[in-house]
This record gives sequence, structure tokens and C-alpha cells, in this order.
Amino acid sequence: MSAEVLKYTMDQVEALEIAPGTEAENLEGWIPELADEAELRLALEKAFSYRGDVTLTLKNGERIEAFVFDRRTGRTLADSWLHYFAPNAPEKRKLSYAEIARLEFSGKDRAAGKHWEDWVKKYNEKKAAGEKNIGLVPDALE
Amino acid sequence: MAIPVAQMWAVSSYVLKKRMAGVKKYPLVLMLEPLFRCNLACAGCGKVQYPPHILKKQLTVEECLGAMDEIMCPIVCVPGGEPLLHKDMPKIIEGLVARKRFVYLCTNALELKNRIDEFKPSVHFAFAVHLDGQREHHDYSVCREGSYDIAVEGIKEARKRGFRVITNSTLFDGADPNSARAFFDEMMGMGVEGMTISPGYSYEKAPDQDHFMGRAKTRKLFRGMLSNRKSSWKFNMSPLFLEFLMGDRHYECSPWSMPCFSIFGWQKPCYLMQEGYANSYQELLDSTTWENYGAASGNPKCANCMVSCGYEGTAVMDGFSSWKGFFAMARGTFSLYKDKAALKLLETPAKPAHRPAPLVKIKEPERALEEVGV
Repeated sequence: MSAEVLKYTMDQVEALEIAPGTEAENLEGWIPELADEAELRLALEKAFSYRGDVTLTLKNGERIEAFVFDRRTGRTLADSWLHYFAPNAPEKRKLSYAEIARLEFSGKDRAAGKHWEDWVKKYNEKKAAGEKNIGLVPDALE
Repeated sequence: MAIPVAQMWAVSSYVLKKRMAGVKKYPLVLMLEPLFRCNLACAGCGKVQYPPHILKKQLTVEECLGAMDEIMCPIVCVPGGEPLLHKDMPKIIEGLVARKRFVYLCTNALELKNRIDEFKPSVHFAFAVHLDGQREHHDYSVCREGSYDIAVEGIKEARKRGFRVITNSTLFDGADPNSARAFFDEMMGMGVEGMTISPGYSYEKAPDQDHFMGRAKTRKLFRGMLSNRKSSWKFNMSPLFLEFLMGDRHYECSPWSMPCFSIFGWQKPCYLMQEGYANSYQELLDSTTWENYGAASGNPKCANCMVSCGYEGTAVMDGFSSWKGFFAMARGTFSLYKDKAALKLLETPAKPAHRPAPLVKIKEPERALEEVGV
């Protein structure tokens, strides 16, 4: 056996090799200050990985509800772009970072919650109550 | 053999052509995601957590066939979401089959019996039914009681009508290798053509983040499960990839080999991670810094990944790129992988983790590491 093998017991392997997963950031409802360019870029990066809609207010006052699915960042705000889908439009749209005055994480975070343990607890409770066909159902399409 | 000879021929000649042309990065399997909407809400899935207006969107028939025409690789998998919720799915499949591609429609089979009349059997087309193990394991895994029985009914109906059917299983921490082996018996007894299995990937957006396995645990599980296998078990996968999962081979990731196309575009850098989108496969190749991905890169998002969409492509290319690889693949197809130490692994009770812990990547653990404490 190698030194590496001797160094760890199976219990340690079990403990060490549990993938950590991703700690979800609670962004729902957040309105970042956007005090400078760095804050704007950071907040838009978070908007890109957010699994809910955001509301963007442009410098001309227009408000856009959007699901941001991509961003292409350039050296300046004018050549950095968000790519998004709006709820009532079929096509992909894009928007320059330079046009954005305000950002709000207004939509529900669809990736939050629903942990395995919650499911098992719910299952056991319903089973004990004699229920059948127990299961989680996808969110309604509203 | 679980993989049709025609498919093996198509893949081998495709890989050889690319090799002779000196092409280093190319697609083997198109992962075509026509929609994200699903009729299940599995805790370990990170694919379907979107606002309703995104879930209502779907690729058109033309967009799906256009993606294939762009890359023309030999195989296409159609996952989702649940593809059978797409009303034009039969037209999409028909178009892909007409192009002589080998098409795998990945479904949870809840709608299979309702829609099976709309499809035609073909050597180029198979239903890949998602089943994560025996009844209790599967129903728990997909968070819905009764889903196993519905899927099994769908499989039986599809087999009765002459369709090719394979199963597709994802295994998470705490999976019981003995139960998985019993599941293989059940599936082969049901007449499925082959099975595919993969460790779950720690999707950043999966609601449950505590049940993904690290690499040592993955190797331990797959070694216990796949060693000393029965001759009746058929896997619709590269035998070299299965050896990689069992800890017998070292491969690096080839994320470009199974590109994913969805309503957002060509996903960067791979099927599992979403770091942006390209407008074409060529743009995906040109604009992705590939050395930043794969276990060798040190990228923590890739540290635990041993998933087929990154590593099976490498195994396939290895198998068809040299005589050595080819013979290893042929040997693996017929070997039962006799292994006494692996038998002992089956005696160890499965221990699910119920808490997250900080990941410590053990430097290149030797295979014997997984035997410690047995």
C-alpha cells in the first residue's frame, strides 16, 4: 500500500470525499447599490447566474423585466452586453451595460429550497398519514 | 452487444476521419435540449429551475435539425426537461433519423404510453428511459411515488412494439451497489437493449447540494457495482469509460465532444456547467478557454466530475484511435471483471451522507485506497 493509502481510513475517505455542493446566495429581493462600475459588473454577473427574473431600469427610465441567460463583457461598459429573454417576447434580446441605472432581483429564485431531507421528511409524514402517490410536483407555469 | 453494429461503425469511421484530418476537438454526441419544462421535480436536478416564461419556451423543429446540420455528429441525445412534453417531438426525431443519426430520446417515460403511437421503430432510434434504480430507489430519487411503475409499463409497451429501449441511471451518494446490481438483472429481464449509468454531477443550481459524490466514492461505488458482473448485463456505453468509473483508467475531460444546444444557444463549456452561450459550435470552440476545465485544470467545479458528457468522449476517442485502445475496448466488452476485493466492497453497507463537508481533493488516490477499511 502506498503512503497515501496508509494515511487515510475508509471513514476519512467517506468524510473527505463528500462533494461540498454550492452554497446558494440569497439574492431574491436584493437591490444592489451600483455605486461604481465594479459594483455594476459584479451585480450583473450575479444576475447572469440567478435562476429568476430581474428588473432592469434603464437610464432613460424604461423598465425591463428579464431573465438574463448570458453576458459578454468588454473593456468598457458600452461594449459589455447582457443577453436576456423578456416574459412576453419570443426572441433573444441584448442590452449594453452602459444603459443600466438600476437592478432588482425581483423574481422568485427558482433554484432555492426543495432539499432532499425536506422531501424525505414530507414523504415519511404523508406515508404515516396513509396517503398514496406522494411526490413533489413542478412549480405551476402561472 | 448493447450498441448496434451500425452505430459502432458510424462512430469508428467518424473518429478515424477526424483523426486522419488532424482535427483535435470535434463533437461526438449532440446533447439537444429542446425545452426545460419537466413533469418531475427531482431534488438532484439542476436543469429545470427557471421562471415559467423560460419553461414555456422550446426549440422549433427547424432549430433542432439546424443544430444537427451544423455539426453532423453520429449520435444525438435528446434530454431536457422532459422531451415528451414537446408536441413536435415526433417530427424532431423523424428529421434526425432521416439524417441517419443515432437518436436517443431521454425520457422519464411518464408520458411514453400516451405518445408512443406518434413514433416509429428504427435501428437509428431508441427511448432512453430514466430509471435511477429499483422501485424504491428510483421513486425516492425522482421525488415521486409510482414513477418507477409507470416507466416500467412504458418500457414494456415500447419493447412490445419493436422499439429499441435503453435505461439511463444517475447515481448519488448513498447508492447501494447491491441494489444497483439487482436493478441490472431486472432491466435485462425486461428486455432492454442496454443500460447507461453515470454518477450525478453537482449541479450548481440543484436544490439539493448534499448528496453528490467525490471521485474516490464514485470509483468505490462503480468498482463494487461493475466488477464480477453477469454476462447478461449489457451497457450502452464505452467499456473504457466504465473502466474509468471503476478506477482502472485515467482520462481527461473532453467537454467539446458532447456539446449542448438549447433555447439559449451552444452552452459553454459543457453540458453541465453554464458559463455562457455561443451562437455556433465553431464559436463555442473558438471562444472557450478549454484548459480552464476538467479535473486536471484545478477548477473546483470540475474536481468531482466523472460524468459521461465529459469523459465518455475521451474514452470513445481512445478506443477508436489506436489498435491498443480498440483491443482494450473489445476485451472490455466481453470481460466480467473478476475482482475479489470488489466482492468485499459489496459487503460494506451503503452509507449516505447527510451533511455537506469541505472538499479535500486527495492527490491521485490509488485504487487500493478504496479498499481501506473493507
